[in-house]
Amino acid sequence: MNALRVVIAVLSVGTVSVAGIYLAAWVDLLVGRAVAGLEVRPLDALIAPLRWGAATALKARTTTERPDAETWALAPALLAALAAVGLAAVPLAPGLLAADVANGIVLFGAAMALVVVAVFLQGWSPNSPLPMIGGYRFIAEGLSYEIPLAVVLIAAALPARSLAIAPIVTSQEHLWNIVRQPLGLPLYLMAGLGLAFWGPLALPGGQDLAGGSSLETSGVSRILWRLAQLLVLVAVAAMGAAVFLGGWLGPLFPGAAWMIVKTVILLVPLIATRHFVARVPTERYVVVSWAILIPLSLLDVFIAGIQALVAAR
Amino acid sequence: MILNVTFWAFSALAVFSGWRVFRADSMVRAAYWLLVSFAAVGIILVLLRAEFLGLILILMMGGEMTIMAVFMVAFMMNPAGLNPMTMVHRNSVAIVAGVVSFLAVAALGLFARFPVARAPEGVDPTRKLGVELLGNSMLVFQTAGVTLLAAMIAAIAISSARGRYGDADQGSVEPDQMVTAPAGDVAAAAAHDPAPVTSPGAHQ
Amino acid sequence: MTLQALLVVAAAIFGIGVYGALSQQSFVMIMMGLELMLNGTILAGGSMWALTTGGSPKGQMLVVVLMTVMAVEAAMGFALVIGIYRVRKADITEKIKRLKG
Repeated sequence: MNALRVVIAVLSVGTVSVAGIYLAAWVDLLVGRAVAGLEVRPLDALIAPLRWGAATALKARTTTERPDAETWALAPALLAALAAVGLAAVPLAPGLLAADVANGIVLFGAAMALVVVAVFLQGWSPNSPLPMIGGYRFIAEGLSYEIPLAVVLIAAALPARSLAIAPIVTSQEHLWNIVRQPLGLPLYLMAGLGLAFWGPLALPGGQDLAGGSSLETSGVSRILWRLAQLLVLVAVAAMGAAVFLGGWLGPLFPGAAWMIVKTVILLVPLIATRHFVARVPTERYVVVSWAILIPLSLLDVFIAGIQALVAAR
Repeated sequence: MILNVTFWAFSALAVFSGWRVFRADSMVRAAYWLLVSFAAVGIILVLLRAEFLGLILILMMGGEMTIMAVFMVAFMMNPAGLNPMTMVHRNSVAIVAGVVSFLAVAALGLFARFPVARAPEGVDPTRKLGVELLGNSMLVFQTAGVTLLAAMIAAIAISSARGRYGDADQGSVEPDQMVTAPAGDVAAAAAHDPAPVTSPGAHQ
Repeated sequence: MTLQALLVVAAAIFGIGVYGALSQQSFVMIMMGLELMLNGTILAGGSMWALTTGGSPKGQMLVVVLMTVMAVEAAMGFALVIGIYRVRKADITEKIKRLKG
C-alpha cells in the first residue's frame, strides 16, 4: 500500500470525522428545537455549535481539589483517538481504507472496548464523587453493550467468511445484511448508543448525576469530550452502514456518495433518540441486555450460521 | 527498517510501562500502566502478523485493567497516591529474584537453538486459527470454554455476599445448628438471623 | 525483529513480573505481577509462533490457551481478594500471618 493511498485514506477519515461531528451537532439542535416546540431556525443552528464552543472555551477554567491532572487531560483525547480508530476501520469507498488490517471487525471491537477506559478515567480523575459514580456506572454496564456488539458483528461477518470489512461489504451485493439478519441492526444500534453514552443510555453523564462524568470538566476538555462523543456516534453509524446497509454498493452514484448517504441514514435516528426516548435506569438496562438482548444476538448468530450452512451446500 | 524501529519502540514501551506499574503512587495509574504494557505487547503481536491475537489481547486487557483499577480503589488504603507510602516487603530479595529469572529466561532465549521458519506472507493466520480451533483443537477449545464457565461460577460463589442461610460476612450456618433458636421454632429463629455458635470465618 | 531480541524483551517483562509478584504487599499488586509474567509468556509464545513454527496454527492455539489462563487467574484472584477481605478484613499480605481461621 503506497504512501499516497495511506495519506488519502487518513485525510478522508479526518474529513468524514469533522463533517460527521458537525452534522451530528446540527441535527441534534434541529431535532431538539423541533421537539421542544421552538422555532427551528436551521441557519442559526448551523452556527450554534461554534458559538457554544467559543463560549465554553472562554469560560473560566475550573478545577477540583487534587485531581489526577494527566489522566484528566488524557481522557477526552483517548476517547477521540479510539473513535477515530473505529472510523478508520470502515472502508469509505472501494479501496479507501485507512486501517487496512485483515481483522477490521476485531479492530473496531477493540477500539469500542477501550471506550470504558476513557470514560472511567474521565470520571475518576476529577477526584469528585458524582463523576466517579458516572465512571463506575459505565464499567458496570460496559459488557452489556460490548457483548451484543461483538456477537452481531460476527454474525454479519459469517456470510462473508472473513473478518475484514471490505469482504463483508462485497458479500452484500445480492442482499443487504439488514434483510437477511433482521436482528442485527437494532441490536447493533442499541449497543452503539450505549458505547457513545447518548440518548436513552446517557448514564455516565446523565442528568441524575448532574452531568456525571463530565461534571467538573471545563474549557477545552469539555469541548473535546463532546466532540469525541459525537465522533463515536459517527463511527458507529459508519460501521453500521458498511456492515448492515451494504456500504458503498448502490447504482448510479460513486461508492463514497452511497457510503455518506447510508451513514447519514443511520446517524440521524441515533442522534434523534436523545429527544424521543427517556433515559433508561442502569439496573433495568443491564437486566434487559443480559436476559433478552444477548440471547437475541446469539439467535442472530445462529440464524446467520444456518444460512451459511445452507448456502454452502 | 521502519518495522524494526517500531518494534524496538514498542518493546521499550512494554518494558518501561511494566516497570512503572510498581513505581506508581496512584493505584489507578498502576493499573493503566499495566494496560499500556499489554497494549504494547498486543501491537508487537500485530506487527508479527498475529493480528487477531494482538487485537484480542488489547480488547481483553482493556476490560481487565479497568476491573483491576476498580479493585485497587476498593481495597487499597491509598488509591489516588495522595500520600507516599511503601508497599513492598523483601525488596532486595525480590529484585534479586527478578534479575535472576530475567537472566535465566534470556539465556534460554539467546543460547537455545530454535528452528528458523517464518510465517508465510500470503496466508491468513486468522483463517488458519479458526480452522484449527474448530477442527483439530476442538477439545482444547471446549475445555477452555468449560474452564471459563467453571471460573465464572466459582468466582461468583466465592464473592457473593449472601449464602443460602445468611450474609457471607456473618458466617452463615444451617438453621438446625443454631443453638440460640427456641426449641421447635427453627423457622422463626432463621428469620431473626441469630448469631451462630461456630462462625467459620473468625474475625481477628 | 529477530527471535533473540523478542525473547530478551519477553524475559525482561517476565523478570519485572517476578519482582512485582514477590515484592508487593497488596493482593491486587501481586496479581499485577502475575499478569505481567503472563504478558511476557504471551509475547514469547507469539514470537515463537511467528518466527520458528512457520505459521503453524498450533502456536496460535498456545497463545489462546495462555489468554484463557490469564482470564481464569484474574477472575479467581479477584474473587479470593473479596473473600479474604470479607473474612479477615485484610488487603495486604502482612495482615494474614496465620493460616488458622
